[in-house]
Amino acid sequence: MQEATFLILTALADGNQHGYGIITEVAQISGGRVRLRAGTLYTALDRLRADKLIEVDREEIVEGRLRRYYRLTPSGTTVLSAEAARLHANATVALKRLRLAGGMAT
Amino acid sequence: MSYSLELERGYRRLLACYPRAFRRENADEIIGVLLATAAEDQRRVAPAESADLIRGALRMRLRPAGQPPRAVRGAIRLMCVGAATSVALLITLVVTTGNVKSAILAQNPAFTAAQWHGVLVELAIKECWAPLAIVLWLCLAWANGRGRDRARLAFGAFFGVLTLMLLYCLSQGAAVYASADFSVAALQWVIAAAAVVLLFSRQSLAYYRPELAGR
Repeated sequence: MQEATFLILTALADGNQHGYGIITEVAQISGGRVRLRAGTLYTALDRLRADKLIEVDREEIVEGRLRRYYRLTPSGTTVLSAEAARLHANATVALKRLRLAGGMAT
Repeated sequence: MSYSLELERGYRRLLACYPRAFRRENADEIIGVLLATAAEDQRRVAPAESADLIRGALRMRLRPAGQPPRAVRGAIRLMCVGAATSVALLITLVVTTGNVKSAILAQNPAFTAAQWHGVLVELAIKECWAPLAIVLWLCLAWANGRGRDRARLAFGAFFGVLTLMLLYCLSQGAAVYASADFSVAALQWVIAAAAVVLLFSRQSLAYYRPELAGR
């Protein structure tokens, strides 16, 4: 899973968000390192909707413009959980090995 | 929120690159996000925004319909890389023309103006071919992503043309006189060869010709 996809799904993990909300959430989650642009975001959202990992929660009109809120589907929650567990397991192993290497060096 | 009709028009022009169905459903929402993320005094689309929207449009248009097998997805990615190498080849052809002349004169001091004119014509033909090749790479990537068997055969023919062109360049001493051009062309050929191998693999056959895959 690409990092942008992972971060978008993570942004939706604790509640629904609209497009601009996802951009700000992703920036916050990544500590400002990943700044999604609209083209990247909506291409990813379209693919995630096609893969049934997210869905539209509701639509509203704000200042004359459509605002769509997205949420994770049960399948999206499963995929995100699996990916988070995989990354966590890899990070745990990496940190453990680094600690061992550090121990050997000192 | 900064707002400008001129800026919105710029965004709409770029959004016209996206597929119509996607535009109909998302354009208004995307414009809202673009305007919300624009700088307060911004009146024109920033180059980075243009690049992002064009990249998004290309991804949308080249995205395979349905889920093709890994081999076909790999071939499509290679075709996009092939289009990029055609861009690189065009740039190299234009930039290295002077070097080609120097290399030829160094090897053949008796090279005449008429002979050089012939080389220039050949280079001009290659410079005209490169944009056509870019379009072909992208169109074939799009059509193969839709599982069209004819597109797979067309790519095979395209690979044949690239092979003949590479052999012709080799016979004309391009590897010596125009080593930069030849290197990029050779890289392009390797990419096309890898894509052909993937497109004509057993896994791909099941995607293009499901009726034959079980035999």
